[in-house]
Amino acid sequence: MAQSDQFNGRLGLIFASIGAAIGTGNIWRFPRMVGANGGGTFLIPWLIFLFAWSIPLVIAEFAMGKRSRTGTIGTFRIFAGKKFAWMGLWTAWISTAIGFYYAIVAGWTIKYFQLGITGGLTGEGVDTTEVWNSFLQSPGQVIFFQFLVICLTLAAIWKGAKAIEKVNVVLMISLFVLLFMSLFLSLWMDFEDGTLDGATFMFSVDFDLLFEPEIWINALSQSAWSCSAGMGMAITYAVYMRKDEDTVLNAFTMGLANNSISIIAGLAVLSSIFAVSSDPLATVTGGSSAITFLALPEVFAQAPGGSIGPFVMMSGFFLALSFAALTSMISTVELCVRNFVDHGYNRERSVAITGLALFIFGLPSAIIWIKLDSSGVAFPEFLEVQDHIWGYGLMFSGLFIAFSIWKYGYLRWKAQVEAGEAPGGLKGYLGVGVSAFRDDFINTGDNDIEVGRWWDILLYIAFPILFTVLMVSYFSDMIANTEDVWNPANPKGLGIILAFWGVIAVSFIFLNKYLIQRPIFRNIPEGADVDISTLPGGQDDKVHQLGDLVPGFEHLASDDVVFEAEAV
Amino acid sequence: MSANRKTPIVALKTRPSFGFLICLPLLLSLMTPMVASTIAQDEPTTGTAPEDVWSDDYINDIFPWAPAGDDILQFKQYHTYDTMKTRMMRLAEENPDIFEYHEGMNGGTNARGEEVTADAYEGWYYGHSSPWMKITKDVQGGDYNPFVGDNGNYPDRHDVMIVGNHHAREWMSVQVPMLQLEVIAFSYGNIAYDNDGDGLVDEDGWGDTDGDGVLDDDGDCIGMATEYQDSNGDGVNCGPGDHGVDEDYSEQFITELVNMREIYLIPMLNTDGNIYDREVFCPAPAWETCPSGGWRKNLRDNTFTGVTPLPDLQEDVDEDCDGVDLNRNYQFEWGAPLGATGPLIPGTCSPSEGELDGSNNDVYNGPVDTVDQDGDNRLNEDHVDGKDDDGDGLTDEDWLGGNSEPETKFIQDMTEMNDDDGDGASEFKSTLTHHSYSELILWPWGHCTDCQSPDHYQLQYHGQKMADMTLYANLQSSSLYPTSGDFCDWHYGVHGSYCYTSEIGTAFHQHPDDIDHIAVRNLGLGFYIAEIADNPRERADDGLAQLSANLLDEPKDILPLSKGDIPVDICVANGFDYSLDGDVSHVMYRIVKPSRAQSDYGPREWSTTAWSMSPFEVDSSDTCTLGNGDNGTVLTSSLPIPDNVAGEVHYKAMLGTLSGGNLYLFPTNGEYYVLELDYRADYGGLFGALFMFLVVAGFVWGGLAVCLRMMLVDENDKEFVEAILEDGS
Repeated sequence: MAQSDQFNGRLGLIFASIGAAIGTGNIWRFPRMVGANGGGTFLIPWLIFLFAWSIPLVIAEFAMGKRSRTGTIGTFRIFAGKKFAWMGLWTAWISTAIGFYYAIVAGWTIKYFQLGITGGLTGEGVDTTEVWNSFLQSPGQVIFFQFLVICLTLAAIWKGAKAIEKVNVVLMISLFVLLFMSLFLSLWMDFEDGTLDGATFMFSVDFDLLFEPEIWINALSQSAWSCSAGMGMAITYAVYMRKDEDTVLNAFTMGLANNSISIIAGLAVLSSIFAVSSDPLATVTGGSSAITFLALPEVFAQAPGGSIGPFVMMSGFFLALSFAALTSMISTVELCVRNFVDHGYNRERSVAITGLALFIFGLPSAIIWIKLDSSGVAFPEFLEVQDHIWGYGLMFSGLFIAFSIWKYGYLRWKAQVEAGEAPGGLKGYLGVGVSAFRDDFINTGDNDIEVGRWWDILLYIAFPILFTVLMVSYFSDMIANTEDVWNPANPKGLGIILAFWGVIAVSFIFLNKYLIQRPIFRNIPEGADVDISTLPGGQDDKVHQLGDLVPGFEHLASDDVVFEAEAV
Repeated sequence: MSANRKTPIVALKTRPSFGFLICLPLLLSLMTPMVASTIAQDEPTTGTAPEDVWSDDYINDIFPWAPAGDDILQFKQYHTYDTMKTRMMRLAEENPDIFEYHEGMNGGTNARGEEVTADAYEGWYYGHSSPWMKITKDVQGGDYNPFVGDNGNYPDRHDVMIVGNHHAREWMSVQVPMLQLEVIAFSYGNIAYDNDGDGLVDEDGWGDTDGDGVLDDDGDCIGMATEYQDSNGDGVNCGPGDHGVDEDYSEQFITELVNMREIYLIPMLNTDGNIYDREVFCPAPAWETCPSGGWRKNLRDNTFTGVTPLPDLQEDVDEDCDGVDLNRNYQFEWGAPLGATGPLIPGTCSPSEGELDGSNNDVYNGPVDTVDQDGDNRLNEDHVDGKDDDGDGLTDEDWLGGNSEPETKFIQDMTEMNDDDGDGASEFKSTLTHHSYSELILWPWGHCTDCQSPDHYQLQYHGQKMADMTLYANLQSSSLYPTSGDFCDWHYGVHGSYCYTSEIGTAFHQHPDDIDHIAVRNLGLGFYIAEIADNPRERADDGLAQLSANLLDEPKDILPLSKGDIPVDICVANGFDYSLDGDVSHVMYRIVKPSRAQSDYGPREWSTTAWSMSPFEVDSSDTCTLGNGDNGTVLTSSLPIPDNVAGEVHYKAMLGTLSGGNLYLFPTNGEYYVLELDYRADYGGLFGALFMFLVVAGFVWGGLAVCLRMMLVDENDKEFVEAILEDGS
């Protein structure tokens, strides 16, 4: 039997998942959302949606990945059926497409860490806008740091789960330490002027605002995007779970850790900006990258402690930011690589190909359409358009997961009705069908926490409602505020999004029939409970376990490792 | 440049050859633009002489429509009834496309159902009807009005009536409409004529056309040496009537006015009185024989020699008693007891009783009516005041008196029988009557003191425009002295016409030397009244609204912001009939916030709310000053923008009128102002924040701790179990 790839310890999985969840969104998006949405008021819906949206979805993802033991394509092939393998392809594509430009964004953070170290952001006469513009407008620099990020990422995942685990543990712990350091200095700054107004604002609730739908929608979007819930990361990392892993506890830990970091980062950013800026909320509600690369360097330059404070603050913060970006980058690439490996490709080669693709397809975002906005700040429009198109596409991955769960519940109930084991009608469906996924894949006995009926309610009722609210509000907002919104040539419009989605979805659905011709190999740890017979894709004879002898893929089974394993 | 300019002048003085004189206007016209621009740029300390700029004709007040020696047509001598009539007939002959000459009207059944013949409009004494000119484009076309007798009636052309010489001795009131007639005749179709010979055309129309507060729009008078700036000798430099002031009006404007209006020009209403004043009462030269007096009224025979006053050439005029003051004879509020200037007993001629000396009878308003017009056996129970005094459902149907004279009947029937569009309302939306003297512009009401008409501020607005043009005083008529039965009270009170009385000049029999420049000074009035004849009310509202043009608070006026609603003020003219209905008068505002859908990587994006409306209310605690220096009313609108919104507020205002006719936008260019909006709310209380912090931290960090602890306990358990198992094996 071929040896499966696994995380060493439970904490390894947790750190990897947290690393995937925590990205730049926690550090630069969260403070902006808090600032723009009434401070502490925002935290209430934000926390509610952590439990109503993010954690249930992550539980589902972990449960699916742990059972299917494949990446996103295999998981959908098994959980939603042969015809729906393209959903996994969609999930993988969206993640990878985001990776194309995210590598560049991660590169920016490393560049700013470098600037922090070398003191390029402090001192007399430093204009942060100038620094930013000249950096963004020199393709060589941007590409260099993009390349650096891709190399670091590839190095981290080259060897598979154990390496990913080690890198994530180190980076995440460093991130905690660095952020706490920044937080300490920020609070000091904020307190120096006599009031902790930044911290106060962040935790002050305006109950009138609580009735504004916009606050809730924003909180939902923050929760949905920042936690990576429903995006396939948890599916991918679940592949490397040990056989008796507690998926529920992991999901809670990952979600809470994500929000913990958000709070620390938010507090650090808001405190420092409130300490320095005359109109802090105008500063904080600017674009995310504007806050980070224009406002914060100015703010940090005024940190206490002579030249040490600014230095520590600047380099520490941007190092933390680049760690957050790198760990997210790692999960993005791994999501893609995992799918290749599932289909019988050599891991190293898959990693190399993915890396090359990231670099090449990322280049346009790095160098073309670098424009100046009305206030003279450079921004990468091509990158922004990419984000515009694929960012919303992420939400559909979550919908596909919910779809798989709904489908499984319905089929299980039908099967049991036919077998005479379950009552028909609505009552039977609600009793057996709705809870089928939870009974069969979540409450497997490995969990300390038994997941109750609440999860069904959230997945069957809350999720579709919230999904609809989110999409409708975003799109109606876009339609209301964008000129010429349906023109596919308008990079800010809805037309371009629908056009790209349409092309991708149609071609993936077309590719589906070729995709399922190819055998797939599940990464099952020894002795794990991996019964998939009740699943729509459970009867697929092309779904194999790693180590099975498959015509044309004998090399996988005849790997040295396998022989060694058999020899033992 | 100045050296060049001097050369020909020197030449002119030393060698005035004929050829050169021919060329002079051309040379001057070539140079004057340069001169004018020099003047505009750097006010020369010495100034220019008139010869440097204007044509000789202009300098010497030679009008282009007549030979220099024709004193009457050059406005160096007064028109008599005969010269006026001859000239009018001549002009009508020469300009048959725009002028149609008339005397009186044909008559027929008038608006009150009375049968009237043409002789009803003939003066009692000399038997002349008032000559008048119908002026409009294609005057022979259009509809024929059998009662009035004129052609050229077009439903889509607004009518305007300009009347001179209600009062016989006020000779300038004939000259001004006659000048207007000459100017129309000369200017119609004569586009871009250079009136002052300075090489520029239409550079200085009537009034302050460029709105800089100076009448001399082209600055040619101001550019003169000081001694040339007061050519009319009235003590005002570069005032109206001075050379170079409003001297080059637009012929295009006049042409279009003639094309779009029907002008009824009646230069001498009171022919009887005028002839009598000139030939009998004030033997020439009248300015010496009657320096401060003269014959005022018409020549009604008040001495009861017959059953009714009859034309009686044999009988001499009884100067103590005869005559009716035509401008007290109109029916609206006729005879309202208004103190010393009115007759003591309406409808009586006191001197005829042989008891009084006639000190009152110069303003005798005509006999009391003795006819029961509605045949209800009650006499004079509902006089003309726009109200149904007797409550019988009819209004003003049995009047006390007034419109008893041929001249006032003429005005009445012309007004009431001239309904081109058949809507029953008077076509004359604006009317002007020239009088002299006092240098005033007057407007209704005259019959009441301390009263204001419904259009008070609108009337005042146009009055001010005309007063600006002439440098006359702008007054409500009764503010000078109360009068009843005057032309304007009747026109406005009965027919809603915006009616103005100009009190021209400084004497009844103004010295002939002053005719030309006083006529020129008042020339613009008749054109202004014709211009506004389409909708004077709306035009006034427009004008009043424009006074608020720059008075909507700009962002700098609003800052710094305090908490709560954001007040936006606008200063409006008193009398501008703004509506406070929030649907038509409001501040439109929208909030521009950082967009919710903001990209993480792009520039700041804005999300714009839809425009909302916030109504105005009067802020009586505040005062404001209009653009023209008058006090205005502060309207304030409180924009309900929450304190916790940061971003931008876009705002603009709209004011509607009570009549609903107009909507005015501020700023006037249709744009909006952008107010930078800071976050104004408190950042929150420390204790509340601490509590919330504990809740959130407890939830998130506490939850995380619990999870990690469960996990580690689990882990330890397993290791423990595994360790035991290993030991066991």
